[in-house]
Amino acid sequence: MFDLKRTPFHERTSKLSLPQNWRRWAGYIVAGSYDLVLDREYWAIRDAAALIDITPLMKYIIEGPDAAKLLHRMTPRDVLKMAVGQVFYTGWCDDDGKMLDDGTISRLSDTKFRLTSAEPSLRWLAMNAVGMDVTISEVTDQVAALSLQGPKSRTILNKVCAKSLDKLKFFRLTETKLAGVPVTISRTGYTGDLGYEIWMPADKALTLWDALIEAGRDYGIVPCGILAMDMARVEAGLFMIDVDYTATSHAWIAGQKSTPFEMGLGWTVALDKPGYFVGRRALEREYKEGSAWRLVGLEIEWEGLEKLYASVGLPPQIPGMAIRASLPVMHNGKQIGYASTSTWSPVLKKYIALAHLQRPHFEPGTRVAMEVTVEHHRLHAPATVVKTPFYEPEWKRK
Amino acid sequence: MAYDAIIIGAGHNGLVAANYLAKAGRKVLVFERRGIAGGQLVTESFGDGFSANSLHASAQLRPDIVRDLGLNLPAASARSPYVCLLGDGRRLTIDADPVRARDAIREFSARDAERWPEFVAFMDRAAAFLDAAYRTPMPRLLHFAPVREGLPLASLLWKLRRLGGRDMFRCVRAMSMSAEEFTDNWFESDALRAAIAALAIHGVTLGPMSAGTGFTLMHNWLNRGGLAHQPVAGGVGSITTALVDALKARGGEVRTSVDVQSIIVDRERATGVRLASGEEIPAPLILSAADPRYTLLKLVGAAELPPEFVWQAQSIKLRGCVAKVHVQTNGQHGLPEGTLAVAPSIRYLERAYDAAKYGEISKEPYLEVTTSSSTKECNVVSMHFQFAPYALRNTDRSAANSIVGQRAVDTLDAHCPGFKASVKRMHVITPRDLESTYGLSEGDLNHGQLILDQIFFMRPLPGWSKHATPVDGLFLCGSGVHGGGGISGASGRNAAQAIIKDLR
Repeated sequence: MFDLKRTPFHERTSKLSLPQNWRRWAGYIVAGSYDLVLDREYWAIRDAAALIDITPLMKYIIEGPDAAKLLHRMTPRDVLKMAVGQVFYTGWCDDDGKMLDDGTISRLSDTKFRLTSAEPSLRWLAMNAVGMDVTISEVTDQVAALSLQGPKSRTILNKVCAKSLDKLKFFRLTETKLAGVPVTISRTGYTGDLGYEIWMPADKALTLWDALIEAGRDYGIVPCGILAMDMARVEAGLFMIDVDYTATSHAWIAGQKSTPFEMGLGWTVALDKPGYFVGRRALEREYKEGSAWRLVGLEIEWEGLEKLYASVGLPPQIPGMAIRASLPVMHNGKQIGYASTSTWSPVLKKYIALAHLQRPHFEPGTRVAMEVTVEHHRLHAPATVVKTPFYEPEWKRK
Repeated sequence: MAYDAIIIGAGHNGLVAANYLAKAGRKVLVFERRGIAGGQLVTESFGDGFSANSLHASAQLRPDIVRDLGLNLPAASARSPYVCLLGDGRRLTIDADPVRARDAIREFSARDAERWPEFVAFMDRAAAFLDAAYRTPMPRLLHFAPVREGLPLASLLWKLRRLGGRDMFRCVRAMSMSAEEFTDNWFESDALRAAIAALAIHGVTLGPMSAGTGFTLMHNWLNRGGLAHQPVAGGVGSITTALVDALKARGGEVRTSVDVQSIIVDRERATGVRLASGEEIPAPLILSAADPRYTLLKLVGAAELPPEFVWQAQSIKLRGCVAKVHVQTNGQHGLPEGTLAVAPSIRYLERAYDAAKYGEISKEPYLEVTTSSSTKECNVVSMHFQFAPYALRNTDRSAANSIVGQRAVDTLDAHCPGFKASVKRMHVITPRDLESTYGLSEGDLNHGQLILDQIFFMRPLPGWSKHATPVDGLFLCGSGVHGGGGISGASGRNAAQAIIKDLR
């Protein structure tokens, strides 16, 4: 029988998770939340520090003289320009420019990179590495990973870290020791807040978990599940594979696929970089002709929502977590797109959504309407297209 | 000097393509790795008075190509008889004249003898259909192709229909059949069936019981014009020499002993070639007559190509298994004139192929033997040897040449006693030599096996049957693309015509 894997933190997380609401993530189970409601974990991300087990991320070490060349070719980013210690976020595509996956590339040395992905990527890496002097190894199980997110994350890490992280810039990494254990710390995350991701040997996972919880006790550290993180990532304007876009390898029909431009990742597509990269020709064409779709932010107008509910004598009813359901988005009575994730944003006090809209309706400021179900009736609440991120604290990059 | 097009490889297809482009007013430059132009169509000297057609005993370019290019080719000599050596001194001699052949076959089976002329007529019609297919551009079936891409195919299907209901059905059916089954539908004599089956497996890594040898039979029948070779006066090299002369007359250039190291690609567009000397020569059009795998993975390099395409290119099945054994004799070899085949039975041929499956050199090989007509002394005997696989499993690679030579001579001597005593010198070419000397990946004469999933719109790769590649300005014009396999020049012409159409 196929068993879902447990992460090296399971011994701690399983005892802490009150609802035992395990979620499947890339062949592992991880805690959905630790409390019956998400408020405490969510607010830890925004006000203190949240400790999240992100071990299930697929991790690959790509090493050799052609390592940079391989990632340069496989992704639309200009990896040849990447500095050692730098981290790139990127999507990557098939040759039609349709997104297969997204993740981060960390340059660990001149000839060594770590790639994270959501989907198993060994075959795609190998197919791209033909004729290259490079070794590719999957280290998902050997490398445990924790994400410490929130305004207090730096303070907490500095208490147990061999060197200060004050100088570590956004999307940079450093090799150091945490509680005596050699780790890589990258200033990255999936919450849009100040935050770090700690990459450690799996056999030292519990030591580091305990050390971080101990160090964070006075700063309100809270173990946090992926449901609260899901709310935070929408506020940060970050999308999720197979929720906000369908991986090309999972798409049944062409219409389900998306390109980096459509996902708002135009900034990652370095069309001016030298050489071939997968999807280049299709992306060049899309850049020239413009995209048919765009993933944008939607802010649902509270007064409009109130009116819809007032008609049945209720105040607005908003789910207390991120909803991964497709909701039609209308313009003048015609559907022009759909929201793929919507959530209440506690920090903004707004109902927000990530939505795929068709040209020309995706320009910021466009007024549209999103479906809401009011007492079993499907109605439309007025909404405005906004730039993402919805929420970006000044300390995120500082 | 600025060139409109660079052609890599001065084999017959490269030269045909170059000639068509030059004829269309383009300034072309052909590079050839070897010291002599000709590719597979060369007549070489292996020593004093020891010269032979290196790889192919005979060859014919398509008549329409000869006409289009105004080639000055030597007049074809009379077709020689096809002589099957059956062991115990017995022979089946199939003359090019169906009536005389019928008389010879009658000694084996009266029923078969009566059917022979009908069989020849059917094969000629099937070959004519294939001939039409090879000059028809194939649609890219994996694409949402515009309707006009399908039009040539529709006209091809019409030709197939015009074969007549019964022949059309037979022809389509025969393609996917094995030679063993196909010949069984026609004949009862094993000797005759083996004679035909030998042609079916000639040059391909398949046995007479392999599916698809019905197709290879038609293919070889078309290329050869029948069972037996039609020797070329002056050797097959005179064909490529004529192509070179015609090209030069059109202002084209051929440079030999120049090794193209890579095709220069910038953002998916070919801009020129880089030579082994480091010199770079720009051109807006690059045609490669080298095999698709070598062209794409070695000359272009996987790094410049889409991953799915690379995966497909890696998967092209080459698997060469033909060796050539040229023997200089003292003239007393005692062999009859004609195309001699050591193919006594279908079972014998299948066993010879079995060895190839396991990476071994056939102990009792299928041989096709021709005596030299290019030298006055007629003292050179050339043997086409199957099977000597490229990928040997339990044989030392360095011993392969001597094993092949030995087994060829022993086998022929068993059928023609006294042959061995006449041997003076040998020159053996194995698939490894075909790769290193003649530039054929895995020693595959066809630049990609002629198997059902690698022909027509699936040649060289599904979705890429129009000579183009993912690299703009780079086209394939060798045997590995549609029209190819075998010697006809169809690939070279198809590619040149597709390019000329594009340029307009």
